Amino acid sequence: MHLPLSSLPLLLITALPAAAAPVDFSHQIVPILREHCSECHTGNKKKGGLSMNDRASFLAGSENGPIVEPGNAAKSRLIEVLHPPDPDDQMPPKGGPLPPEKIALLRAWVDEGLTWEEGFAFQKPAYEPPLRPRHVDLPPATDGRDHPIDRLVDHYLAKNNIPRPAALDDAAFLRRASMDLNGLLPEPAAFLAFIADPAPDKRARLIRSLLGSDVAYTEHWLTFWNDLLRNDYDGTGFITGGRKQITQWLYAALLQNKPYDQFARELIAPTPESAGFSEGIKWRGTVSAGQTTEIQFAQSTSQSFLGINMKCASCHDSFIDRWKLSEAYGLAAVVSEKPLELFRCDKATGKIQGAAWLFPELGDIDPAKPVHERQQQMAALMTHPENGRFTRTLVNRLWHQLLGRGIIYPVDAMSTPPWDADLLDWLAVEFAAQKYDLKKMLEVICLSQAYQSKSQTLSQTTDAAGYHYAGPRAKRLTAEQYVDALWQLTGAAPQKPDARVVRMKTSTAAATGGPVPAKTATWIWGSSAAPGNTPPANETIKLRYTFESAADHPTLGAVISCDNEFTLLVNGKEVSRSADWMQPQTLLLPKLIKKGKNEILVTAKNGGDGPNPAGFFFQGLIQPTEGSAIPIVSNAAWEWSTMIPLEWKPAVIVPTVPAWAEKIDQAATGLLTAAFESGSQMVRASLLKSDFLMRTLGRPNRDQIVSLRPNDLSTLEAIDLSNGSILAGYLSKGAEALLARPWKNPDELTAWIYQFALSRNPTPAELSTVRDLMPNGPDATSLQDLLWAVCMLPEFQLNR
Amino acid sequence: MSALDLDQPESLARRDFLKRLSAASLATLSGSAPRASAEAITHPTATADACIVIWMAGGMAAPDTWDPKRYLPFKVGTKVADILSTFPAIDTCVDQIKICQGLENMAKVMDRGTLIRTHTLPDLGSILHSRHQYHWHTGYVPPQTVAAPHIGAWMSKVIGPRNPVIPAFINIGQRLEGVGESEEVKAFTTGGFFGNEHGPMNLPYPEEAALAVRPPKGMEPARFENRNRFFRKLLDQTPSRDKMGDYQQESMLRSLENAHRLLNSKDRSAFDITLEPRESYDAYNTSRFGQGCLLARRLVESGARFVEVTTEYVPFLNFDTHANGHTTMERMHKEIDAPIARLILDLETRGLLDRTLVIVASEFSRDMIMEGKPGSTAGDQAGYQGDTIKEMTHYGQHRHFTASSSVLMFGGGMKRGHLHGATAEERPFLVTKDPVTIPDLHATIMTAMGISPKTMFEVEKRPFYVTEDGKGQAVRDLFA
Repeated sequence: MHLPLSSLPLLLITALPAAAAPVDFSHQIVPILREHCSECHTGNKKKGGLSMNDRASFLAGSENGPIVEPGNAAKSRLIEVLHPPDPDDQMPPKGGPLPPEKIALLRAWVDEGLTWEEGFAFQKPAYEPPLRPRHVDLPPATDGRDHPIDRLVDHYLAKNNIPRPAALDDAAFLRRASMDLNGLLPEPAAFLAFIADPAPDKRARLIRSLLGSDVAYTEHWLTFWNDLLRNDYDGTGFITGGRKQITQWLYAALLQNKPYDQFARELIAPTPESAGFSEGIKWRGTVSAGQTTEIQFAQSTSQSFLGINMKCASCHDSFIDRWKLSEAYGLAAVVSEKPLELFRCDKATGKIQGAAWLFPELGDIDPAKPVHERQQQMAALMTHPENGRFTRTLVNRLWHQLLGRGIIYPVDAMSTPPWDADLLDWLAVEFAAQKYDLKKMLEVICLSQAYQSKSQTLSQTTDAAGYHYAGPRAKRLTAEQYVDALWQLTGAAPQKPDARVVRMKTSTAAATGGPVPAKTATWIWGSSAAPGNTPPANETIKLRYTFESAADHPTLGAVISCDNEFTLLVNGKEVSRSADWMQPQTLLLPKLIKKGKNEILVTAKNGGDGPNPAGFFFQGLIQPTEGSAIPIVSNAAWEWSTMIPLEWKPAVIVPTVPAWAEKIDQAATGLLTAAFESGSQMVRASLLKSDFLMRTLGRPNRDQIVSLRPNDLSTLEAIDLSNGSILAGYLSKGAEALLARPWKNPDELTAWIYQFALSRNPTPAELSTVRDLMPNGPDATSLQDLLWAVCMLPEFQLNR
Repeated sequence: MSALDLDQPESLARRDFLKRLSAASLATLSGSAPRASAEAITHPTATADACIVIWMAGGMAAPDTWDPKRYLPFKVGTKVADILSTFPAIDTCVDQIKICQGLENMAKVMDRGTLIRTHTLPDLGSILHSRHQYHWHTGYVPPQTVAAPHIGAWMSKVIGPRNPVIPAFINIGQRLEGVGESEEVKAFTTGGFFGNEHGPMNLPYPEEAALAVRPPKGMEPARFENRNRFFRKLLDQTPSRDKMGDYQQESMLRSLENAHRLLNSKDRSAFDITLEPRESYDAYNTSRFGQGCLLARRLVESGARFVEVTTEYVPFLNFDTHANGHTTMERMHKEIDAPIARLILDLETRGLLDRTLVIVASEFSRDMIMEGKPGSTAGDQAGYQGDTIKEMTHYGQHRHFTASSSVLMFGGGMKRGHLHGATAEERPFLVTKDPVTIPDLHATIMTAMGISPKTMFEVEKRPFYVTEDGKGQAVRDLFA
């Protein structure tokens, strides 16, 4: 478009109605300069001696002198050359004059004094992280420390004249490794055995044993992954069905130690069980263009897998790194069913962006393919053997978890230079060589002397001149670790987890066959399901089973499903309900069954729009404290009735629908075994919805991805630790439980608490102080106070 | 710890606090903390030291409270479209201002404050109260890529507590567990990226507030002291002496010491509303909300910085009237009228109103007919959708209206006896002059508190401003 100069003043007025609002440098000026001037005047380019890299160089002007007079556009050459009297002076030289609204913006910007975003510069960032993996030649080992990590770290320390941190003693190592790998305190017996063990390989054996404790490992690392994949059991978005959990998938993946490349592929190209991550949170109503579920996919996959902050670039070309709006949309378009229009700062640009991968040197995503194929292409590119950023991001996260501070920090800003690129690259290549085995990688790091050394003592000025590695850093216990530790000490863990997971390996469950006898359940319903009939939609019936128990308070365990929904009462108390037949419910009731007559009563409802199969399934077992178990299964011995009037008749056996058999019948035995097995394991905080105490201790709302927990204790948190009712309740239960146990003398009790809580024996001075607290021996009050004081010690609250 | 000397200049009290108690955050040491803008920001001179937000949760209908329109009494057969207000207007002590019947106590204090009738709110496409509440309380429409801090957290972060032992951000009356949409409410009731140190102290039950700052239930003061002495002794005897000067450990201990100090301080009596003289207690005690107003006054008297008191958001309760709106509003008038008026008068009597900014606001207004605003795509959520009134439950403001709502501001440098803006006399009640948006209202509040609306922190390298993108502009016309 060519405009006669005379028309400009009028256009300027109409084009800039918001003349009163100050010009927004980042959002209005930067894009103009970048599009029209950057080619010749930014980075290393200084055509005519003019650089626009930063405000200072702007003011310095060109070889012909200043180009701007801040506050006076009329006297600024910058503005003049945009529509000069002589067309030969025209800037930019190619492409014709700028549109009048852009000129108006630049003019207003100069008139307002050339405001500049502090710290902003057009230069490329000094550091661009490498893409491909890099093989590292290890420096020679010194002092026999030949673990590759130690060869690298020792070399770094020597080069930087930093003293090697002292070795960690056995007891401290035991506590640190247990907390890091299983999130649990070592029990006093394990503590005593470990320090007494003379075997030189005991640390390696401990590491392997901790990693081999599948359930404990899973339930500890679940916290890390829930944070990183923003998965929770409750939270924003669930209310309107705009969000899905990935709990079962994630739990199983950790339990099986799923290789991380496959793990990532299943999150990017998901199954229904893992789709919650890529689908994001769908809010009711309109959301900004920078927060659609497609854009969330771009942000989440970039952050979680690559440590790339795509949040800036979701709205405009990033000012902080090289990522562009089109690249954020390229990833977003992978999961978009429709062509995706580029929105810049919430305004449509008219440009359509097809699916594209961030690193074309590794390959491309075909935008013409359907969504699921694009997802698979992206999954393959993400886990491409040449994508070193994928492996570096993950090993850096593991290093951060274990040594308290990432090699790159913050761990989500992988465009930050590492403190030792060789170490990071070695770990990344090793991880791929170990076939992306997460447990193996943890083992590799834990076996190093670097991990097994004392944590650094910090002062306020430690990092004043930038971070230098000088040993591991102490980690504050996460909310989940702290609460688990309290429950270990006090026995106050709740009976039931909120997360619906099978707390054992399914293969184990199937292999043991468990205590469940061969007798299996059948699907039952009322007369509407008799041969030749199909139950009507929404039919609601009652089902019941009455039986005699010879034992008092045996445990009742059961797996239940109903197509389509049910409520189940045992002796008048509601114990289970569900409206999703594909999610079998398990229950384990230690107290409800009494000696004599008992009743199981069910309200069962069919769904659908027309007649369709309906059925209720119950496979249970009554396990007395002594003696053999008695099966209770849904069969013709059950009775059914209409809701009104109640007339009990024998239940009708329903032919098993293939989908029922696959989802329920075949899983029931394993689930039931697991229910009985898990009854004996402490419920972990990671399996529970967040409560006031956990929130106080820093468990985040997982509305956003949170990869760093707060490392310091705030005053409000300390108030709650000092007088909060949840903690007080645990301590009171704990004191009661400990008093009920036989102790030879009060010192033995004190030693037990110290061994458990701190993995060390109390000193004589500490024993004496505790004796002074309880001159007449321990009672509920003094024991609560002792437990409280020990749990407040920084030695307890920190993992160092 | 001495009680706050209210005559002490603000800056001195602040410096004193920093010197005595604050520990630089460890997050700062490790480099992940939000970073204040390197650009020097000139903060305005504060006209208020304390701020009380009185939150009318659930969408308070302006036509039945502060912006009365044509009134038609309940009568079977009346066309819904003919009714604008379900309460008649009454005079207030300010000539030009009329409000609804049922707010007689408030009518007597309107000369102490400013009434804004033109607070305009965006239409978020669908009404989800908690989403609008998130917007009002943080200045940002959810979802956001980072956790946006509550305005109370901003005050805590930027100006800090007034009295070092009273938490800077106190939130009264909202239960965060066991009520509908509680997860959504939690999402903005936080310190956001400023972290827990600047998050709220939540006191859902005013009568139990004292427990929050008391030694644990059932623990005698002597035992509490003894327990702390015991802890200190064990700490001194910890054998890992090499960690004694450790910064992280010191920071942890300082927080524990601060907590102990508050739980032992005489200032904590401010949290105990049962210590209030009978007459005064009864005057406030219309409900949990009324008690909350009393608690807010006591806390501000003792040096609280930011207090929010809410009628409480529970879906379909209180102001969230999807049916039976008139009857519910009668009850809400009774709940709010006396305590808010008494709070204003009490602050005045104590000489605190001049430096305490009290704001009464809601996430949007309500209307008998219109959902959202003209042109909105929001779905109709009213319980009864007929054209004529058939029974009492049909009589009331059952739709969510976002184009205009009323806000009251008392004290803290605001004009007195002032009316700002006007809305149309006929439906829809669009703003006819002087709209006030959320960014501008927040800019006004922050300016009064001495915080520049352009105050910015960098989080994940993104500049994040106290008013959306730093664009809020204080409404000068509201200041005295």
